[in-house]
Amino acid sequence: MNSAKSYQKKKGTGYVFTSGLGLVISLAMVAWIIIIILVKGLGFFWPGDVLQVKLQNGDSYMGELWDEHLDKETLVEETQIKIGNRDVYGRDFIWLKNNEIASRSYPENAVTFERMEYGNFYGFIKAAYLDDKIVQPGDGETLKDVVFDVHDQAMDTKEQINDLQEEATEIMAPLAEVQREMTLLQLAGAEETATGKQQFDELQKKADELDKEISPQIEKINAQLTTLVLRDRASYLEVETADGTTKHIELSSIVRFFYPNEMGAVSKSIHYAGKLWEFVADNPRESNTEGGVFPAIFGTVLMVLLMSIAVVPFGVLAAIYLNEYAKQGAIIRFIRLSVNNLAGVPSIVFGVFGLGFFVYAVGGSIDQLFFSSKLPEPTFGTGGILWASLTLALLTLPVVVVATEEGILAVPRANKEGALALGSTKWQMIRKIVLPNAMPGILTGLILAISRGAGEVAPLMITGVVKLAPTLALDGSFPFLHLDRKFMHLGFHIYDVGFQSPNVEAAKPMVYSTALLLIIIVVLLNLFAIYIRNNLRKKYKTSTF
Amino acid sequence: MIETESGVFLEKTKKDEILTPETKIDKSVKPVLAMSNEKIVIETKTLDFYYNADAHALKNINIHIPDKKVTAFIGPSGCGKSTLLRCFNRMNDLISDAFHTGEILINGVDIYKEGTRLEDLRKQVGMVFQKSNPFPMSIWENVAFGPKVNGINDKDELNEIVESALKQGDLWREVKDRMQNSALDLSGGQQQRLCIARALANKPEIILMDEPASALDPISTGKIEETIEELKKNYTIVIVTHNMQQAARISDYTAFMMLGELIEVDLTKKIFTNPTQKLTEDYITGRFG
Ligand SMILES: Nc1ncnc2c1ncn2[C@@H]1O[C@H](COP(=O)(O)OP(=O)(O)OP(=O)(O)O)[C@@H](O)[C@H]1O
Ligand SMILES: [Mg+2]
Repeated sequence: MNSAKSYQKKKGTGYVFTSGLGLVISLAMVAWIIIIILVKGLGFFWPGDVLQVKLQNGDSYMGELWDEHLDKETLVEETQIKIGNRDVYGRDFIWLKNNEIASRSYPENAVTFERMEYGNFYGFIKAAYLDDKIVQPGDGETLKDVVFDVHDQAMDTKEQINDLQEEATEIMAPLAEVQREMTLLQLAGAEETATGKQQFDELQKKADELDKEISPQIEKINAQLTTLVLRDRASYLEVETADGTTKHIELSSIVRFFYPNEMGAVSKSIHYAGKLWEFVADNPRESNTEGGVFPAIFGTVLMVLLMSIAVVPFGVLAAIYLNEYAKQGAIIRFIRLSVNNLAGVPSIVFGVFGLGFFVYAVGGSIDQLFFSSKLPEPTFGTGGILWASLTLALLTLPVVVVATEEGILAVPRANKEGALALGSTKWQMIRKIVLPNAMPGILTGLILAISRGAGEVAPLMITGVVKLAPTLALDGSFPFLHLDRKFMHLGFHIYDVGFQSPNVEAAKPMVYSTALLLIIIVVLLNLFAIYIRNNLRKKYKTSTF
Repeated sequence: MIETESGVFLEKTKKDEILTPETKIDKSVKPVLAMSNEKIVIETKTLDFYYNADAHALKNINIHIPDKKVTAFIGPSGCGKSTLLRCFNRMNDLISDAFHTGEILINGVDIYKEGTRLEDLRKQVGMVFQKSNPFPMSIWENVAFGPKVNGINDKDELNEIVESALKQGDLWREVKDRMQNSALDLSGGQQQRLCIARALANKPEIILMDEPASALDPISTGKIEETIEELKKNYTIVIVTHNMQQAARISDYTAFMMLGELIEVDLTKKIFTNPTQKLTEDYITGRFG
């Protein structure tokens, strides 16, 4: 008796231990990946000091200390430096053997430039030029004061250029429209028929008139533009790399520059905050490896919202039908089984379905019916945010159906009968009793759907995601929400930057940062849904009696 | 009191060989009471009810239920009291395999007549369940539920209806200052009176009550009984109860059922003092069960 008892106890402890271990291991792995992502993702924006090394052979390099390791074959310590200056060296990183390094220093006046192209530049500023004329520091001024000032001026010029270009496009718009119509007529072979030719000639006349009307304005703008562009090109900094090569950097191509070795913790923190802000609020640069990811955040959130809007009504209606209206039997059991199994279909299969059904069949028909004037250029007949959202809605439908069904089953029968006994119709009963009580279940389904949908990449790649979307799907021009537009997505951004970019090593930190952001966004969306659910739970807590 | 399942009851009676219904029902005595001078509200004609082909729950029920009176149904557990009650407002329609033969008339009209709106019938015939079932809404919303689904939307009118229903349900005094609180925060007895008030808000003609006080303490039960006493001035009340004293206290007529059959219906006083059927007497004196 006694031995049996202790045996059982032992066995029990073993199970407890094993399952506990399993939990600990999975938690540890989750914590590990989050810590890695946090450290690497957030560390990226910190302005690193600029290290200058001089080698024994006289070469000199300058840049951010990136990595250090022991070469296993030669047993020599090696140092990796991000030397930037891709336009000079043709690479961003260099490994140096420690025993070949003669000296290391952190020169005060070393500058880090972030540029629109070619990545960072590390060097020293020698002089500043505005309009090809050197700018001398005035009394009590240093060169440093001057360069920040001329950079500001150059940025203003650049803005003026952009404004003028936009203005010109606006003025040209009516003419461009007429010309597009003419091209379409030509494509349709209209010149061969008499009416077609007449139409074409009329358009030609209109185009000529418009041209005459707007050409003075355009000429004026062009003249202004020419001076500005010339000034822009003639404004540059003369810089010197670590090994003494001089180079000119156009001021307008510099996003920002700073003297990291002079900066204290406070100014570095301010710089860091600025970089973080740029990351979440700006457009990407340099094939997505620099700058911000705002369009991708926007695309992800908008797509998840559209998906939710589509999946919840359908999922809830399906669940209501299955539970309240359909006669329970073999057919319903089969349907329920099929819906559950849909959740296990690989997501790319949904993507292919979305492409075939939504993009080609539905989108193609919409184009035929409503946008035939633009054909053969597709409007809805190509990937877009609407089709991607609907594809994901389909993908997440089973989750919502199952969760809603559970919510509906939890509604007490007594309440349903009570409502019917008061003379409500079945639909009134469903709307007033079943749906409110099932709402927590529905929201649980939504939470699961968001978690699954926000992270999917494969089906999006063939239904509308792109690596760079020039315009957001929501903007100030009518009809404000452009469901046909392509969009960017954080998940795809990770894939694109990490595996498709020309400079994978330099893009690595961006992958971590974007992954971190994606996690944060999914968590935030979920917290929002959980918050609503908890409020509803409180409201509809079941009777204690 | 009878607490056993119908199956257990059968087994026991057979073993003890006290009673078998077939032998003991005195067929010469008419089970239906023709209440001569009273207006009949509910009437069933040769009603047979089946939950499915194998479950014959009601057998040849013929009963007249008079206007503005309290009629109590008593009988051992599983004898079909709830089933009969739920026939009167067609709640049994929810059970997919169930069917019936015979007729159920309310005010002389067959409730299964084509074109009868189920919602209208249930508005006319209110129901209070054994276990109180307030909706997870405010007290006000609970009482206004019936009028609202029946198409009354005017806020003032609703307020008036809610107030008068709660007064009739004897709950107004206790809840008038917290109408927007959740109904689930009320006590068990208050919840049941809320359910009564909720049924009254529909201004029904008939109220069906299936053991409305069986889950309540004696004080709450007393309150419910007082409420019923008050209500019978304006409503026809049909009540199922397991509590013989309760039936004797509050009802004008009592019907005794057993194994799906209606054994005897009569004035409550007569049933409890001088029943016609031996079976009724045995049940009332507690000789079986
Ligand atoms: N949904 C159902 N399907 C099949 N049989 C049922 C169903 N509901 C009740 N029955 C059976 O019908 C018979 C009558 O049930 P009913 O609920 O009317 O009894 P009752 O007199 O109300 O009993 P109690 O006093 O215990 O409430 C019982 O034998 C019961 O098992
Ligand atoms: Mg019952």
